[in-house]
This record gives sequence, C-alpha cells and structure tokens, in this order.
Amino acid sequence: MNVKQRADAVGTFRYIEVQLMETAAYWTPITPQMEVKVMLGRHIWDFAQHADWLGKRTFELRQAEHYTRRPGDDYHQLLEQMKQAEGVEERLTLLYDITIPGLIRRYERYLEETDRLLDGPTVLVIERIVPELRRQISDAHALRAEIGLKTTDATDFRNREAAIASVVAA
Amino acid sequence: MTELDPQLFTEPPARDERFEIKQTWSEMTNMWADDGTMLIEFMHRQMNEEVNGLEIAARNLTDFPDAPWELRLAIARQCWDESRHVNAFRRCFEARGGEIGMFPVMNFEYRMIMAIPSLIGRLAVQNRSFEAAGIQAIREAIEHAQHDPDVAALLDAQLADEIQHVRYANRWIESLIRSNPRYALDVVRAVAQANRAFPMIAGEAAMHLELDDQIRTEAGFADAPAAPA
Repeated sequence: MNVKQRADAVGTFRYIEVQLMETAAYWTPITPQMEVKVMLGRHIWDFAQHADWLGKRTFELRQAEHYTRRPGDDYHQLLEQMKQAEGVEERLTLLYDITIPGLIRRYERYLEETDRLLDGPTVLVIERIVPELRRQISDAHALRAEIGLKTTDATDFRNREAAIASVVAA
Repeated sequence: MTELDPQLFTEPPARDERFEIKQTWSEMTNMWADDGTMLIEFMHRQMNEEVNGLEIAARNLTDFPDAPWELRLAIARQCWDESRHVNAFRRCFEARGGEIGMFPVMNFEYRMIMAIPSLIGRLAVQNRSFEAAGIQAIREAIEHAQHDPDVAALLDAQLADEIQHVRYANRWIESLIRSNPRYALDVVRAVAQANRAFPMIAGEAAMHLELDDQIRTEAGFADAPAAPA
C-alpha cells in the first residue's frame, strides 16, 4: 500500500465508525430496554473516539483532517439495512454478532497488509480500536444474558457481509 | 392522563413495560414526609431524567449530521456521561431496596427538546438551561447528602460532568453565533418555545434557580449572554 491507499482505507474506516455511532444513536430513543440504551450510550462514545483518531490520522496521510470516504455500495447498503433493523434482538444481532466482528477482521487484514514500520501511526490507532470493539461484543453478550434477549437468524446479512472482500470503494 | 400540546411536545421515547409514564409533575409521586422512600423516589426520577439526557444527546447526533465534528464529539461524550449517570442513580436506589418501576416517571424533557428544530436551540434549552439549573440543584443537594456518602459521591461526580456539558454548549453557542449572527434567532425562538412548554409540565412547582458565580464561571457563562431562565 502507498500513502494514498492507506489514506483511502483509513478514511473508509472513519466513515464506518461514524455510521456505527449514528446507528447506535438512532436506536437509543426507539429501543425500549433501558439497559440497552445505557450500553449504546457507552458505545456511541467509543465509535466517536475511533472516528476522531482515524480522522486525525488521515491528515498525516496527506488528506484533509477527518477525510471520510464512503465504502463500496454493497457494504454501504448493509450499514443502511442494519440501521433500519426492527426490534432490539435483530439490532443487537446485526451489530454485535456480524458487523463489528466483520469490522475487526477488516482492521486485522489492514494490519497484515500494511508496512508496520512505515505506517506505524495507523497501526497504533487500529491496535487501540480493536480491543474496544471486542469489549463491545462482550458487553452485548453479557447484556443479552442479563436481560434475556435472544439472537435472531441473520444468515443472509451474515453471508452478504462475509462476501465483501474490501470495504474500500474503487 | 394530561394530553400535551403536539406543537410543543413530540412523540415520547420508548420505555419498557417496567415504567409507568406520567405527563406532568402533579401526576407524579411527590412525597414530603421522609421515611427514606423520598430519596429512593428522587433517585429513581433522576435516573429516568438521565435516560432523557442520553436520548436527547443521541438524537442530536442523528438529527444534525452536518454539525462540526468537534461539537459532535462533545455530544457523543455526553451520551456516555448520561448513561453512566443512569447506572449510578440505579445503584444508589437499589442499595436502599428500590426497584425500577417503583414510581412513575416523566419524559417531558425529551419531548420538549425534540420539538425544537435547531441544534443550537436544543443546546440553549437542554444544556444551558435545564442542565445549568440541574447543576445548581446538584450543588445544593450535595450539602444535604452528607449522611449518604454514596449519594454525595455520585452527585459530586455528576456535577463535574454536567458542568462540562453546560460549558461545551456555551462555547459552541457563542462560536456559532459569531460565525452567523442569525443563529441568535434560533436561540431566542427555542427559549421562547421552552418557556411556553415548561409551565404545562411543572405548573405551580416551577422554581427559578440562580447559578452562583463559581458555577457560572466554571460552566463558561462569565463572558456569555445571560442564561435563559
């Protein structure tokens, strides 16, 4: 990867983190369970911080500060579909069982593909983000057990997410 | 149950079946004799107000995607602060035998603020007015909570967070008006709308809280226009 390709990838990750922030925020008043609202409140701040760290990095990669790049249409459609999920169980399944694990895989793939010496500052940012995303998954699993929420069948969404090789638009 | 004017109050936020919702202060469980239940009721009510604060901040993120990023970042932080306050109040009343749903709650704050169409107007009413009045009330409550160290600790921490929420709103209101003086009209409209709506909820229970000088300075009021009542 060259600097421009790194900036495009980081700007795309930023777009996704902002979308996740907005999705969690959108769900907060329309989801009945107070405990879920509380968890989303914490995660809204996580996503915002990730977007902020990534946005500062794009400037170092010779783009505007908070350079943000929309992902490919197929991935963008998944994010939009997730936001419109009906009911708390479907919302939590799509976000914490599919989208966030998929995002972690994409961050890890970036770490494998970039030069960890030349691109050290991006590596540092991603290595801060990934444990937080894992903690969010744990939060959601624990909460579902605590208040008795089930997972839903989201096979189609899962398959479509897995089929997208790269989120970075051509 | 009282019906609220849809021009001044939007649809309510979602609540699960544990909660009994009331519209006005007079419909709430307002206790004066204190056998310990009054504190539980107060904290239960505060918990739901913090949920309202979280929901308002969340809507400010979704309703205004083009707001400056630094402002959105501050709003996102407020979401986490309010969600921590929810759990903090819950912890305190559950330690005293309270349970969620023991008392009715109101969601007027969310319904009032969501009826305001501009972000600067929402910040002026929610952060600069409601939260500013709240921090003065918290400050006074701390003095009465010395026999309840967990409550005093909660209020002390909450006070610091709420000052930050008022401060960022003051900074952004000032900055936005400086960038475009027409924003001042949005503030005036929002405050006027809130001044029509709030008496419908509070009735005769409405109180005017004056901010003391230290709070005004810490919360960034010192160089700002006078806070709306």
